[in-house]
Amino acid sequence: MANEKSFMKALKCRECGHEYPLAATHVCEFDFGPLEVVYDYEAIRGSLTRASIESRAKNMWRYRELLPVAGEPTVGNQVGYTTLVKADRLAKRLGIRELWIKNDAVNYPTLSFKDRVVSVALSRAVELGFTTVACASTGNLANSVAANAAAAGLKAYVFIPADLEHGKVINSLVYGANVIGIKGHYDEVNRLCAEIAGKYGWAFVNVNMRPYYAEGSKSMGFEIQEQLGWRIPQHTVIPMASGSLLTKIHKSYQEFSKLGLVSNTKWKIHGAQATGCNPISAAQKQGLDFFKPVKPNTIAKSLAIGTPADGFYSLRVMKETGGHSDDVSDDEIREGIKLLAECEGIFAETAGGVTVGVAKKLIASGKIPAEDSAVLCITGNGLKTLDAVVNSVGQTREIRPSLREFEGLLETEDAACKA
Amino acid sequence: MPTKPKKTAKSAKAVAAPKHQNTRLWLMYPPKKITEPIIWQISQKFKVVTNVRQASVTGEIGIVCLELSGLRPEVKATIKWLVGLGISVEPVEISVVES
Repeated sequence: MANEKSFMKALKCRECGHEYPLAATHVCEFDFGPLEVVYDYEAIRGSLTRASIESRAKNMWRYRELLPVAGEPTVGNQVGYTTLVKADRLAKRLGIRELWIKNDAVNYPTLSFKDRVVSVALSRAVELGFTTVACASTGNLANSVAANAAAAGLKAYVFIPADLEHGKVINSLVYGANVIGIKGHYDEVNRLCAEIAGKYGWAFVNVNMRPYYAEGSKSMGFEIQEQLGWRIPQHTVIPMASGSLLTKIHKSYQEFSKLGLVSNTKWKIHGAQATGCNPISAAQKQGLDFFKPVKPNTIAKSLAIGTPADGFYSLRVMKETGGHSDDVSDDEIREGIKLLAECEGIFAETAGGVTVGVAKKLIASGKIPAEDSAVLCITGNGLKTLDAVVNSVGQTREIRPSLREFEGLLETEDAACKA
Repeated sequence: MPTKPKKTAKSAKAVAAPKHQNTRLWLMYPPKKITEPIIWQISQKFKVVTNVRQASVTGEIGIVCLELSGLRPEVKATIKWLVGLGISVEPVEISVVES
């Protein structure tokens, strides 16, 4: 890439606006508000054009000026630029004119959108001189940190609840990460991890690196706009765990619009949650600007955050854009996964089932009008959550190696269909 | 010949004084606790310094951003007491454990 200068200006408190140097820090010393990266948009305007973006490699770093690194990124050169699929069959089933699927189920290397945020966090960590990286996670984030750290030659510590399913643990262990299981309730694990992050001089991707880490989500939004032919979608349905992805996709639309890369058309951001963990959608439906913490109980484990860090900001984005939120039951999540798979050949994890299920509700209720166009954000691969659908996808029918038996089976099925 | 006293686990523990700790927390009060003077009660029950940085109180939820300073066992005991009251106690980062 021709331009290697930094376009970051500072870290800024999202509450009071106090600015800080671009270090590994994440909380305002005055009011403990979260810090966010601010950029020099005037300088970016002179460097980032549609032509310059289109001339670059097809990965998330083609929008490098709007991502928080000072020089050339060192992690994630194969991450991002996942397909935006025109989902005509699903559109017909859901009753909407035009529907697109942003498919991060095939994001490289660990098959979830987390590779985007981790690539940014680790690239920035290397710039700041860290050699050890860490995270606390129950799934996708752990896998992504372990894999990307291995590829970058960084030492990785991954903290997980001790009772996490073995399959998920293997997906981190295989990369050689130090995986530490912590016994105790989620809240205790949460507080201990915050303490460890404060005590050790590591790059904890979602703690002291959080301002940089979170910005990686914007790349999903940048890609959506470019792949749609340089336009902002009328409606975007986004799954919400902490709510960070929703706020960052909104920010990506604001930034492209501000830089003149897309027309400043109106857009609506909609949030999707599982009914078993719906603090943000419940608040949005009640018209509140704050959420009440909940104890998660849902098959959508990747969205099971009862106290979402960006819940307040997500509610604000939905309110500002005129978006809505809804939530779906475990059965509706399974139906959503099947619907997406059967219509488009895309097998999403449970969060994808949530997004499809909520989109279906929003379209049916007219909150997303049938004559409009929408993008659904799919954030992870169904191979990661096979247990969730194991009893709801039907069963194989077994026969002996006999043509007669096979034809008999077809006849039985034909008769059943006609009955 | 005088024998060297054996160093036991107990004596090793005895010399390790508790460390001072600064903890930054979000407290979320359920409705029935909103009107109770929880912060004052902390100062009466525990040897910790409390420092409120942000607060928002409505009829449905009370949210306080609090810095707790003191010896580690006192800070831990304070958190345990708050949790026992039904107050949600999160680190300032809120959800450190992500999916």
